[in-house]
Amino acid sequence: MIINNKEPLLEVIDLKTYFFTEEGVVKAVDGVDFEVYQGETLGIVGESGCGKSVTAFSIMRLLDYPGKTVGGKIVFKGYNLLEKSDDEMRKVRGKDIAMIFQEPMTALNPVLTVGFQISEALMMHFKIGKKEAINKSVELLKKVEIPMPEERANEYPHQLSGGMRQRAMIAMAMSCDPVLLIADEPTTALDVTIQAQILDLMRTLLREFNGSLIMITHDLGVIAEIADRIAIMYAGKIVEYANKRTIFYSPLHPYTFGLLTSIPRLDLEMKRLNVIPGVVPNPLHFPEGCKFNPRCSFVTDRCKEEEPQLIEVEEGHLVRCWNIDKVAQEVKKGLLVGV
Amino acid sequence: MNRTVRKLFSNASSLVGIVLLFIFIIIALFAPIIAPPLSDNPYQVPRMSWDVNPQPPGFPISDDIREVYDFMGTEIKYDKAICGTAEGGYDIFYGLIWGTRTAFKIGLITVTVAGFIGVFIGSISAYFGGWIDEGLMRITDIFLSFPFLVAAMVLTTILGRGLDKVMIALIVFGWMGYARLIRGSILSAKEETYVMAAKALGVKDIKIIWKHLLPNTIFPVMVQGTMSIGSMVITAAALSFLGVGAPVGYADWGQMVSFARNWIIGAPGHAGQYWYTVLYPGIFIVLFVLAWNLIGDTLRDILDPRLRGEL
Amino acid sequence: MLAYIIRRFLLLPIIILGVTFLIFCVFSLLSPMERLATYIHDPSTLKNPQSVERLINKYHLDDPFPLGYINWLKRIVRLDLGWSQTANQSVWDAICQRFPATLELVLYSIIPVILVGIWLGVISAVHHNDMLDQTIRVTAIIGWSLPTFVFGLLVLFIFYGILDWLPPGRLSSWAQDIVYASSNFHSYTHLITIDALLNGNISIFLDALRHLIAPIITLSYISWAFLLRITRSSMLDTLRKDYVRTARSKGVDEHTVIHLHAKRNALIPVITVAGMMIIGMLGGVMITETIFTYPGLGFWAATAAQQLDSGSVISFALLFATLMIVGNLIVDISYALIDPRVRLE
Repeated sequence: MIINNKEPLLEVIDLKTYFFTEEGVVKAVDGVDFEVYQGETLGIVGESGCGKSVTAFSIMRLLDYPGKTVGGKIVFKGYNLLEKSDDEMRKVRGKDIAMIFQEPMTALNPVLTVGFQISEALMMHFKIGKKEAINKSVELLKKVEIPMPEERANEYPHQLSGGMRQRAMIAMAMSCDPVLLIADEPTTALDVTIQAQILDLMRTLLREFNGSLIMITHDLGVIAEIADRIAIMYAGKIVEYANKRTIFYSPLHPYTFGLLTSIPRLDLEMKRLNVIPGVVPNPLHFPEGCKFNPRCSFVTDRCKEEEPQLIEVEEGHLVRCWNIDKVAQEVKKGLLVGV
Repeated sequence: MNRTVRKLFSNASSLVGIVLLFIFIIIALFAPIIAPPLSDNPYQVPRMSWDVNPQPPGFPISDDIREVYDFMGTEIKYDKAICGTAEGGYDIFYGLIWGTRTAFKIGLITVTVAGFIGVFIGSISAYFGGWIDEGLMRITDIFLSFPFLVAAMVLTTILGRGLDKVMIALIVFGWMGYARLIRGSILSAKEETYVMAAKALGVKDIKIIWKHLLPNTIFPVMVQGTMSIGSMVITAAALSFLGVGAPVGYADWGQMVSFARNWIIGAPGHAGQYWYTVLYPGIFIVLFVLAWNLIGDTLRDILDPRLRGEL
Repeated sequence: MLAYIIRRFLLLPIIILGVTFLIFCVFSLLSPMERLATYIHDPSTLKNPQSVERLINKYHLDDPFPLGYINWLKRIVRLDLGWSQTANQSVWDAICQRFPATLELVLYSIIPVILVGIWLGVISAVHHNDMLDQTIRVTAIIGWSLPTFVFGLLVLFIFYGILDWLPPGRLSSWAQDIVYASSNFHSYTHLITIDALLNGNISIFLDALRHLIAPIITLSYISWAFLLRITRSSMLDTLRKDYVRTARSKGVDEHTVIHLHAKRNALIPVITVAGMMIIGMLGGVMITETIFTYPGLGFWAATAAQQLDSGSVISFALLFATLMIVGNLIVDISYALIDPRVRLE
């Protein structure tokens, strides 16, 4: 669903965010490019530690010490967010770009009522009174299908169930009708049945306000349900970037291929589940050459020496790999016989 | 364990603590050589004069005292009060050196015994739970209802002066912290699989506590113990300062400081002339307590990095 | 919340009864004769064996233990705490007379620490830097290792002995004449600084303040180091919490983030420490007042202990234990007030 003739809503160009720790510089995000169009959902997928959450926090400029964005541009509605003053940035947060976090228990303040936490952003950005804001937050709670919203608004986070908290979190993020929503693993901490409900709710709301969504997750199942286009991240870089169909049916990066064959699928007959060997490399000591090379089954000598560039193999499909041909063959075979 | 030792030696502040502690151990061990006793009881601080006024550092032993020793046939192994004398002619230097032994004695004995009592009560309480737990914890609350110094003072007032009485008082009101600590750790360890497994296998209660629970929960208690050696020594010294601790003339830092109390202001026109009466004993107490606190602080960081920065 | 507070209040009499029992156990270590000494005004009575026997019977001092405890408890409830040889007045009168002086000292020590200490802790956490971090850490450990009686003597040595700025006692003699002997000076609260202001007498106020500064510093220096450090580390911990990030992600301004979202949470562990701090101060009162010959409860108790006036010492302990129990209750309730997770349990 790429709308080529349209300006992107958000454009991330060569983003670099490093953490300056005592042990050395951790290049958590190292040259990431992507764009998000009005009304679409971009999925960012990767294992924990690949830099996907840091990318989100960089866009929001909410990095904790010792993290720092050292390069690149984040162009939102034509302005570079990295050049905005703290005050201007504050006006963007919550109003234009809102965020949903992974763990609703820790992401909600335990000593403030749910109603207050929702109304806060309203009072902040629309300069409305407390009463009006509370009324509006009750409406929002109703909208995210929380039963007895009037009572819930006066309750504290620990009094709500996990799914309920995440609904409240969504209400909070939606309160000022943002044009871009960033959801950082919003369903990971929830039970499977609740996950589906939350995803449904997000999809409904998205359609309603025609906003864009960046969905960050390690769960390809979630991505399959909600995303239009997908960026696969590994070790601080995007390794494959394409629309959903391409990623799921003709991936060209060994890592994407590995991820796909490691989840059970009903639409394909699979003899056994694949496992990607090895672990995510230590960000202080990335391997030479392609960072995926120690875990890759297609590895060649070139992979160990030279890092591949992200190249466009076809319209809207970018891959960072030296052995695309081999992978393509294997994918065809693998998907046919089910690995 | 290795990691703990390595961290203790690699951290600047705990290294200072270790060096200080080492010096104090040397002083305590070689006390008879550094300050040879002049009487049968080495903890009795010798007097350098009969005069009630403190005498400045370098004060030579007065003639009438020299006569007494000569008469008794005691060899006077040193005849200068290097750090001056306290009220009543008591030699400060001697008191400091032998007071180091007193401090170690108080700190180690009270903490060890109080620790044992606390661990015993806390582990019984946690393991058996129910009414035993409720009862023992309320008793702990009752003991905790007294400010430590006030409680110790009451007991020493009733029992009378003496180092043994001071230690009894410190132990009677010093075990509660350990009891609560070990109870908390055991309550959480109790739910662990290895304890469940031992129970399911029919291992005796006592054996479960002794073999499985204590070894896994004792380290925080030991850290707590290290941390409280300093406060035990301070409290004992405070009792001496208040005049209900060690008997008069006993080699004890608190008493050395209390001797300074009436002289600290100095004579009219000579403000601060008796500075040495508080300075030297003060330095010894502070450094001794500091040594233990620095080590304890680092130990706690190692134990739980999350606690870093909390006292 | 209600159940929690009810439970705390139900436990209160049990704890207080336990405290009296414990004190009575300690008291029973004394012989009936020694215990008798805490009730009589004239020590020479003890020399006459007949009157001693009569008095021991009168006060039921040789009753069996449980009966003795009940009798003793009855007298305590009637506030008949015996006679203080040290103060040469009844123990209850001695307490009533000295309580305001101690209260004044403790109040002036606690309030600035809590208000300013917490504020400084928050500020230093927000302006996080390593130098400050280390300085506070080291200061706290040194303060913790410096006994009150050494520190107090040093303060006395410097500010009175050498500089002659801060004299010991509670008032200068000229001020004493006015406060205690003049009919123009009305004692409303018996807190001299406040009374002086109510009487509009600034010079008395300043004199009282001048006498209070050194004891206040001595009594509270540990608490400063302690509270500052705890507030700071708790605040630093809280500022890293997810919900602080959430607040920022909503576009909440930094002031609200710090003072509403973070501080409320950071103060929860601080309450425990503030409670411990007040307890520590109660212990320090004896030493501080002794050093500065400040005529409060602690000075009296310390003198009584030296003179083996056990009746006074025991009553003092009973009073301070009660204060501590009440203090702990307040701490626990404020916990519940600030933390909805406890309140709504």
